[in-house]
Amino acid sequence: MVGNLPMKRTLLKFLLGLALLPLVAVAGDPALNGRWRMDPARSTALDGWTAMDLVISADGSKVSLRHDMTWHATKVTATNPVDTAQPVEITDFFRVDQRHMAVYARPKAAAQVSAAWLDNGRTLRVEAQVPLETSQGDTTMRLYQEYRLLEGGTELVLIELHSTRSRPLVYHFTKVPEEAAKK
Amino acid sequence: MKRLTFSLTLIFSAAAGLRGADAAPAAPAREAYVMHFDSDWKIASGLPEKVMLIGLQGLANRTAPRFYIVHAADFPWEITGPLKEFYERKHGVHFTELKTAEEALATFARYSKGYVVWDPAVMPTMNVAYTIAGLEDAVVVTPALIPLAARHGLKPIDDLRGRYNGQTDAQIYTDAKSRYWARCSHDKLMLMGGHRGDIRIPGIADWGVREKMFFHDLSANPIHADELALEKQFFSELNPGGTIFGWHVYGKDTEEQHTTLISTYGLKMEGLQSLPNLSFNCQIGFTPGFKFTNHHHVTSEQKLTAQAKVYLSFVQSDGIGIGVWTKPGRGRIPLAWGAIMGWVHFSPAALEYFHESATPADYFIGGLSGPSYMYPNHIPANRFGLLMQEASDLMKVLDERIFEIMDNSAADGNVGNAELTKETVDRYYAAFPDAAGFINGYGPARTRDLRDTRPLISYDYYIDPRRPREEVTADLNELIALNAKRPYFLLVHVRESNDVNSLVEVIKQLTGPVEVVPLDTFMKFAASNQTYVTRYQHPDDPKHFKGY
Repeated sequence: MVGNLPMKRTLLKFLLGLALLPLVAVAGDPALNGRWRMDPARSTALDGWTAMDLVISADGSKVSLRHDMTWHATKVTATNPVDTAQPVEITDFFRVDQRHMAVYARPKAAAQVSAAWLDNGRTLRVEAQVPLETSQGDTTMRLYQEYRLLEGGTELVLIELHSTRSRPLVYHFTKVPEEAAKK
Repeated sequence: MKRLTFSLTLIFSAAAGLRGADAAPAAPAREAYVMHFDSDWKIASGLPEKVMLIGLQGLANRTAPRFYIVHAADFPWEITGPLKEFYERKHGVHFTELKTAEEALATFARYSKGYVVWDPAVMPTMNVAYTIAGLEDAVVVTPALIPLAARHGLKPIDDLRGRYNGQTDAQIYTDAKSRYWARCSHDKLMLMGGHRGDIRIPGIADWGVREKMFFHDLSANPIHADELALEKQFFSELNPGGTIFGWHVYGKDTEEQHTTLISTYGLKMEGLQSLPNLSFNCQIGFTPGFKFTNHHHVTSEQKLTAQAKVYLSFVQSDGIGIGVWTKPGRGRIPLAWGAIMGWVHFSPAALEYFHESATPADYFIGGLSGPSYMYPNHIPANRFGLLMQEASDLMKVLDERIFEIMDNSAADGNVGNAELTKETVDRYYAAFPDAAGFINGYGPARTRDLRDTRPLISYDYYIDPRRPREEVTADLNELIALNAKRPYFLLVHVRESNDVNSLVEVIKQLTGPVEVVPLDTFMKFAASNQTYVTRYQHPDDPKHFKGY
């Protein structure tokens, strides 16, 4: 029995390696990283914002989705940190849409958020159960997002569905060159 | 967005309002003159002549309504044309057209004692010149217009060229304060803000000149500490119940900052800086026998029971004159209108014109937050009761039962919160015992209450006129889905210049059992079944601007 232990460990490592292989294989495409600028002409109308930048940075399974929002002189930054390896809880989960609707993030409540790489790492899928406050009290929205890197790596499309909305929200982005993004 | 006054004290002001509706009108002018303005307000081209003519209007209208201006179709206030026709039709005013500045000076130079020169390269000199114009009966000219003034026999009274070169706005207005403020009105102050850059639209300057106001464009932004300190001096030296006319300066500070500051002193805000013809309008009263009669759809005592459906009601609050009153579609859906209550004092014919042309679907409400535009969370407790008594008296004159509140002191457009504290809500319920209910917000808000049979409902949605209608439809349907209990009370703010016809098409695309009802009916239904959560401003609510 004792003599078989190394062999079992080797087998376990092998199986673990096999299990992790798909994750390694579908890690995010590096081209997704960086600053993306929304193209208003090709996007769902922003309500309550005049401009939006999306800053994506992936580190292993962790992906930071930062939103740099502008409304005239006012600037707001909000980040949703997701993880493709495990579900996470995010307080004040940021939604781009509908600043002109009385639909608020429920105070101190966390959204349950899962994420996964699809399409050989060219698409990031995010699914969230978002706790909200409306005029009638607390409720929850099921939200589905896909961040799709388009051919060439310089354009990105974000498609968002809500369990409470029959019309998808579609935002087109163009990559901001690295040097310009530093300014 | 907003409005103006006459009064020396709050009590006088309210009494004047009551007089306005009950007594015989001021004697109408039988003869008057009119000019038609184009849309060129550029400093480098059309502005200097308009600055001169608007100032001249204030002098010409000092003792009688003699000079009226009709603005271009794209001017922010759309009513100048219809109101001129109203004066002709209801008051027998005969207007003679003046086609040029030369003709205007030939007609009205006799009301002036000379001219004051301002320098377009130092724009605050325009405001200093207007202040001097009111005090000295001066025509306001740029150097290029001096020959024109001289041709009509006018002599120089003052010349601001060079006096303020290289000085900051705070330095300029500090000097002007030391020279002129003591002789200016201490009931009214002119905030000549609005556009920066290459245009200005000082449409309200006639009123400031007529009433001998001090003109300025100081900032209420804390980053401009010296300007803010000077403006606080002015506010602290105004008489109690005083009014700030005009509008804040775009780019220097925000509407929220300025209105917060004004409210902190218990003063009233009446706008905009472009509001035209007040020096004329204030002198023509209501037609004999006229009485405001609102289109109420329910009686005060009536009780309604809400059904299991979505009740939708629309409100247009940005001052009727800059709204969609004259555009096609009005009357197709019930729409509540935020009348500018202060016009009882300084533009009664405009209010009469709106009431005369109202359809049964048009319903007038009081506001905004007080007798004029204010942020109630910041009104000093010892001023609140007097101000709201003035507002309540105006509501009675205007036959209004619902009062609109707005407090964006902690907001910047869509960021922060627009909520009322519980203390503020308590004060409103106490101050307006006869009101059928209250509405709150500009953008969406979440202050809600129901006391006895009187709801306080905040806007659940704000329609930006530029938002595609299919997205508006989707937004409203999403709100209906998120607020799944029935009845659901969905109050919608329709921003100025929205197209009513397009709203009709939106309504057709809404899902569920939706009924669009007039605001007074909406409030009665909302009182019958509180499916909305009582809520006030919470300490943890996000604040964009923390105040002064």
